[in-house]
Amino acid sequence: MNRRFLAGFLALTLALGLLASAAAETVWSGLVMADNVPEPTPIPAELTKLESTLKQLFGYNQFQVIGQSRKTLGTGDEDWLAASKYFSLHVDSRGTEGASYLLNLKLFQEQKLLLETEARLSKRSPLVIKGPQVGAGQLVLLLVVE
Amino acid sequence: MFMKTFEENWTAWLDGKLTGKELDEFKASLPDLTAAELEKENALKLGNLLRKRIGVPEMTNAEFFHHQLRSEIEREQHAAAPAPAGDTVRETWWSIGRLAWTGAASLAIFALCTFFVLRDKDSGGQSAYLTQIINARVDPAVSPDATISIFEAKEDKVTVVWVDGLQSLPSEYAAK
Repeated sequence: MNRRFLAGFLALTLALGLLASAAAETVWSGLVMADNVPEPTPIPAELTKLESTLKQLFGYNQFQVIGQSRKTLGTGDEDWLAASKYFSLHVDSRGTEGASYLLNLKLFQEQKLLLETEARLSKRSPLVIKGPQVGAGQLVLLLVVE
Repeated sequence: MFMKTFEENWTAWLDGKLTGKELDEFKASLPDLTAAELEKENALKLGNLLRKRIGVPEMTNAEFFHHQLRSEIEREQHAAAPAPAGDTVRETWWSIGRLAWTGAASLAIFALCTFFVLRDKDSGGQSAYLTQIINARVDPAVSPDATISIFEAKEDKVTVVWVDGLQSLPSEYAAK
């Protein structure tokens, strides 16, 4: 009986591990406008973990999401778009490499390509891209695996 | 009182246990008293001889034998009685074999975890925990003065692509 219990426990552990590794993950992509204002609005929930890093990097006290997309990756070969009125971030996922997704990112200002990047997005490491200056603020692109 | 059979009376007569009226009646029932007397005498001789020659051997270690017998009986009684469930489980679970198997299983799980953790580390020295930039470029026709630098903010495991020199835009471009 104890042998059966031990075997069952090991099988359950392996099954849970396989399930966890096979579970689909979601990538949050955001176009964020950073600026300094006298009374900043609370930081969006998606950026809470990165608040101190963003403030330290860019020196702004307010971060607002102007465009976003949340994509659940199944095969790893998907593409999606996060867009605001004038900017759009096109993300093309080209599969996985170990614990990372191989992504091709294109930032457009309307129809104009401003920036193109290829990255291995780690499931544990967000990607922050500094975009163009907009008014007194700064456009920031973010990709986070949730 | 019931009537005894001839054999019973015969046995009792041989043993000398017939007395009085029973003895007289039995002797009277015998067809040949002399032959019967002779047979009785022979039977008695044979009995005496057997008792002398074939005696029960006396045990020289009777106490030890009794002690062994009592111990064996006690062991059997103890074995027959059902043991408490908790004791059985504990004894079965913590047997040497189970401990060995549990240890081997733990080592295997540890080795597996170590393998996966080490596999995640990049062989080139750059941690695979962090997002890596393979390449980044801007259109030189659109942003001729743009420069790109890449660094890591390790406290939050953030990879940063820092682009300077992009054309600044008016504030209305911040619209949602």
